[in-house]
Amino acid sequence: MRTPAIFIEHLHKSYGDLVAVDDLSLEIQRGEFFGLLGPNGAGKTTTINAIVGLVKPTSGHITVLGLDAVRDYRRVHRLVGIAFQELILDGSFLNVREILVYQAGYFGIPPRRARAKADELLERFGLWEKRSARVQELSGGQKRRLVLAKALIHDPEIVILDEPTAGADVEMRLQLWEMLQQLHAQGKTILLTTHYLEEAERLCQRVGILHHGRLVSLGSPEELARERGQAHLEDVFLELIRSEQA
Amino acid sequence: MIGFLTLSKREVVRFLKDAIDTIAPPTISVILFLLIFGVGLGSRLGDVHGVPYIQFMTPGLLLLAIVRNAFLNPAYSLFQSRWYGNIADFLVSPLSAEQIALAVLLGGVARGMIVGALVLAAAWLVTGVSVAQPTWALGYALAVAVAFAGLGCIVGLWTRGWEGVGAIDTFVLDPLVMLGGVFYSLDMVRGVPIIEPLSALNPFTYITEGFRAAMLGGAEAHVLIGLVLTLALGTICIGAALVLFRVGYHLKA
Ligand SMILES: Nc1ncnc2c1ncn2[C@@H]1O[C@H](COP(=O)(O)OP(=O)(O)O)[C@@H](O)[C@H]1O
Ligand SMILES: [Mg+2]
Repeated sequence: MRTPAIFIEHLHKSYGDLVAVDDLSLEIQRGEFFGLLGPNGAGKTTTINAIVGLVKPTSGHITVLGLDAVRDYRRVHRLVGIAFQELILDGSFLNVREILVYQAGYFGIPPRRARAKADELLERFGLWEKRSARVQELSGGQKRRLVLAKALIHDPEIVILDEPTAGADVEMRLQLWEMLQQLHAQGKTILLTTHYLEEAERLCQRVGILHHGRLVSLGSPEELARERGQAHLEDVFLELIRSEQA
Repeated sequence: MIGFLTLSKREVVRFLKDAIDTIAPPTISVILFLLIFGVGLGSRLGDVHGVPYIQFMTPGLLLLAIVRNAFLNPAYSLFQSRWYGNIADFLVSPLSAEQIALAVLLGGVARGMIVGALVLAAAWLVTGVSVAQPTWALGYALAVAVAFAGLGCIVGLWTRGWEGVGAIDTFVLDPLVMLGGVFYSLDMVRGVPIIEPLSALNPFTYITEGFRAAMLGGAEAHVLIGLVLTLALGTICIGAALVLFRVGYHLKA
């Protein structure tokens, strides 16, 4: 069997009394488009932040293409590009293009290639006109695209997106979906978190549903709907969440 | 290496682009000191240890500028990156925790040394002060910058608000340096209540005396004692900063 892209084994994370992730085990295959679903506070962000080492697991462990996420964090970071839920940009003194050029530098890309790569991404994400702008001058959608471009600066094999379409309007959502499908078609492994069920249904080959930090369901959107005798993932989701609460 | 250089460059560009707020104020305030004490009151104050008071004071002012700037840069830069969240950009890159720590440290050293060089140039213009042992003085200044940049890294990770950095600056650094022989030497305050014991207990007094000796040409023993103290302080601060970065103190949830 091929090494999974992301392998999570008995991941457990608590903050004091609060259990954010509860014994999560999950395998995401290479080239897969995987969706992590769940209502707010389900533990999605905690899980993906643990993959890139921003969250220290209370117990359990994670490997990325066979590399230990804690011990081998530097090699893992080369393989993973992550777009955070919050639109975090180093914009206090860098302009749009510089943000990408510096980010490329942190990943060890030499200056000339860094600038070329930044320009390529600025074009691709419709930000070329804004290359000299400050972050504060960007619209929400433009910031979102810049965050995405930043995640792709080092051509990562695995792309992780935390609620990439939160707050996006319809047109932008469609644009983003197309970009993500293109990335997937290029062979990238994609892990996406969302609470838009339609998004998961449209894009994801498999989804896992988290609730109170526990994985309550796992499979393809069609499978999950069929198993539960529902027409849509949304109905499966609501049923699961209600039965959990009952 | 490219990653480390890029982050180091960021740390330097960050304060250079904001030179009006980072480089200018400390330089100008020292120039004012020099003008008042050098040109203004200089002739009335007489000599101290065989040099005009203004020349006696210059190494202390220079050290003060280096200490504060080397400290403030990493402290504010780190806290700013934590506050806005962009520290995650470095943390998810292939940079090691140690590389991040050292790049931030380097930014502080650069700012301390740049302000120090400007202050020295101003002092030379105003008072004609020259450096007796340039190599020792430069090495000494570098060691001081590294030590206090290390302290700045610790404070930048530790603080939970902007005011934390200011508080350390006002309540720790300022008294330490002001009561640390910037304006007087230990034998000038013999028998003065409060000031003498505080100054004698303050390690910074010996750091200043050593630097003064290196700059103005004084007892070699002073230079060595001060340098050893500085290196000890530096080792402790950098060691602690590296440990904090490695465990992800206030960086990882
Ligand atoms: N740094 C933290 N300290 C304390 N609690 C946290 C922290 N981060 C997340 N939590 C809590 O952990 C739970 C899961 O959060 P999160 O992973 O952000 O959920 P999601 O991304 O699915 O909305 C929530 O109850 C949240 O309040
Ligand atoms: Mg979240």
